[in-house]
Amino acid sequence: MLYLSQVLGRPIRDLEGESVATVKDVITRLGEDDHPQIIGIVARYRRRDFFVSRWRITEISEAGVRLNSDVLNLKPFERREGEVLLARNVLDKQLIDVDGKRVVRVNDVQLIEVAGAWRVTGADVSLQGLWRRLAPAGFMGTRKPVEVIDWADVGYLATDEATVQLKSASGKLARLHPVEIARLAEALSYHHGSEVVGSLDDETAAETLEEMPAAQQARIIGDMDEERAADILEWMSPDEAADVLGDLPEEKAEELLGLMEGEEQADVAELLPYEDDTAGGLMTTEFVTLPRELTVGAAIARLREMAETPNMIYYLYVVEAEDSWQLIGVIALRSLILADQTAPLAEVMRTEFQSAHPGEAAKEVAQRIAEYNLLALPVVDQAGDILGIITVDDAMEILLPKNWRQRLPRLFA
Amino acid sequence: MLERRAAVRAAGRRLLQRGARGVRNVTPRKRLLAYLAILGPGMITANAGNDAGGIATFASVGADQGYRLLWILIPITISLGLVQEMCARMGAVTGKGLADLIRERFGVRWTALVMLALLIANGGVTVSEFVGIAAATELFGIPRFLSVPLAAVSIWWLVVKGSYQRVERVFLLMTVVFLGYVASAFLAQPEWTKVAAGLVRPSFSFDSAYLFTLVAVVGTTISPYMQVYIQSSVVEKGVTFENYRRTRIDVWVGTVFAILIVFFIVISTAATLHRNDIQVSSAADAAHALQPLAGVYAEALFAVGLFGASMLAAGVLPLATAYSVSEALGFEKGVSRSFREAPIFLGIFTFLVAVGAAIAVLPNLPLIKVLLVTQVINGLLLPVILFAVLRLVNDKELMADRVNGPLYNIAAWATAIVVTLLSLLLILVTIFPRLVFF
Repeated sequence: MLYLSQVLGRPIRDLEGESVATVKDVITRLGEDDHPQIIGIVARYRRRDFFVSRWRITEISEAGVRLNSDVLNLKPFERREGEVLLARNVLDKQLIDVDGKRVVRVNDVQLIEVAGAWRVTGADVSLQGLWRRLAPAGFMGTRKPVEVIDWADVGYLATDEATVQLKSASGKLARLHPVEIARLAEALSYHHGSEVVGSLDDETAAETLEEMPAAQQARIIGDMDEERAADILEWMSPDEAADVLGDLPEEKAEELLGLMEGEEQADVAELLPYEDDTAGGLMTTEFVTLPRELTVGAAIARLREMAETPNMIYYLYVVEAEDSWQLIGVIALRSLILADQTAPLAEVMRTEFQSAHPGEAAKEVAQRIAEYNLLALPVVDQAGDILGIITVDDAMEILLPKNWRQRLPRLFA
Repeated sequence: MLERRAAVRAAGRRLLQRGARGVRNVTPRKRLLAYLAILGPGMITANAGNDAGGIATFASVGADQGYRLLWILIPITISLGLVQEMCARMGAVTGKGLADLIRERFGVRWTALVMLALLIANGGVTVSEFVGIAAATELFGIPRFLSVPLAAVSIWWLVVKGSYQRVERVFLLMTVVFLGYVASAFLAQPEWTKVAAGLVRPSFSFDSAYLFTLVAVVGTTISPYMQVYIQSSVVEKGVTFENYRRTRIDVWVGTVFAILIVFFIVISTAATLHRNDIQVSSAADAAHALQPLAGVYAEALFAVGLFGASMLAAGVLPLATAYSVSEALGFEKGVSRSFREAPIFLGIFTFLVAVGAAIAVLPNLPLIKVLLVTQVINGLLLPVILFAVLRLVNDKELMADRVNGPLYNIAAWATAIVVTLLSLLLILVTIFPRLVFF
């Protein structure tokens, strides 16, 4: 086992043991492999860099690198697509540790020789790793165990090199909960944070974005490729998507809206005219309506067969007829399940229920939800048509003090 | 029937047909708020320089040198603006803090050096803040061995328990008192012709007292922590290069405003203290300069302002330092972490607060002298940060075409070199006081 810092700057010797150059960097290629193989070394001789393939190397150790020939290819080094230089692109950079669910900085890189091939096995993030590089060469200091992150757990490498392909293994990141991904992306710089979101699949990206502060959501979506942004917006819940569009410049918002698919577009477009701090701005259009003449059994069957069940089905909204939006009653899922299967909904529903107008102040509506211990509150227009619902989690966001919502301390807020 | 998916999605389509489709207009109120939110980091950072050490330094400048040193405020405005703008620009372009960039571009050894410099400089300033607290409370007759430990414990508690941000505003409000110097400067009826002369006619001397004051002035206006702070704030506010113009304006407006306050502090102290040959050796002396405005309440007014400014910085500074060092060296950070989770972060914070408070309660400590010395340490360490900033901001890989222009670079390098020379000169004349140049 070796550490990158123990190899950098060491001599490269030929067959006779003559020092012909020094090690400037170690090259690998990130890919499917959990522990990527080292494919060569950048050698430095007389202020020029050239490439030494791993096939020419017989030994890598703290003493340096030994070659198996006397001939060196002195063609200047040029990085090829997908290659990662460990000293330049990994050392001192941040990465996401999927196992520990945190962002760490790489103090050193661990290399291990397995079956004749050197591989990148881990990132040293401990104080000892720092010490190893700070202290004069040969001075090892403490023998305390080091803290090394298995390279297989590296979910994202925050390097600025745009050509480093596959630096984020989205499959690994997707193992985390969207809340965690959002927190990690926020801990990185803005540029890297949006790269993390961009690397996720549309659905996870949407869920992750929903967990981020509004301003950041808009910034990430706004800077993204338009087609991709529209795809992600479709996956977001309509009220969140409308908030994001509302925070974007008008032209951009209209463009993105235009790129969205019909149904999702309609859902979002409906919410856009409402101000942020009104009931309309708070509501979502994902809810279930059922006609009054339906029986309890048929209603349950219909719920079960829905292809896209909204999140909020604990309350079902009963309307006048199949095509009507006239809200006449509410049924809790609990009463529906307990009720007689053959009874029509009109008999089981509650006709006395709380509702809000779209123009009502968001804060008052949120307070009402808390007061009446509701899970959701329907928003109804002048004509008595249901427009949307406000769920308890959106209400909580309004009621809880800011510090509660963003647990992470904001130093310069 | 079922393809209607229980009408979930259709809800929107209906309104779309009704013609409800449209994009919500961003209301003017929202625009204004966004503007105010962004107009901030530069203003706050530049004015943070007017803390306990700053007030002491500027009061001494006015009292000792009269209007002679006023000229230096013009080059200092330009230098401060340039340095702050470079850091703000780096924050906007890279989205990373200064400590991050230093680590990622210069490697471990340089990072360790810069962080050590920052730690010492900020440690010095933290001491000066607690000295400020001591001075302020002593004006009210509360002994410092009582007030300083109390302040230290409450700051530590407030920050770690996470309610510091709320108290912060109270302290910030208290510093408004220092605007009183502006009125005081006019009421003291200074000789405006001499003010004008001092402002445009540079004077220089190799006298060690003069150099000491000069380096202290530079050190307190262009403090190393300000560069770190502004870059972090810009990153935190989410400024990108597209909306960077407003931040640039904010930086320059903030700089000019901060130096204007300094200008009036120097004038009012010169017109009251220097005229009567009073040396600033205690906080009460510095308070005298407010007498033309506040009369007998001058001391109380000054004490309130000094207390607010010192409490504010005594909390923010150790915290910001702990963040920077932890960030650069990759340690766990955050005030919500426990000592076991983030030992280094909380260790640095606790260490700075404790040491700052401990030094400030030492008996027979010449308060104003200590304040000046900490600013000089700042000045001496400034070149380390300045050269790091200059190398980073001109790094094409990092900044692309947002690197400094040639003229900009000349001015910025000149600042760094002059500050370095001044610092070296001060060390020289301190070690060899009898050294005669001419």
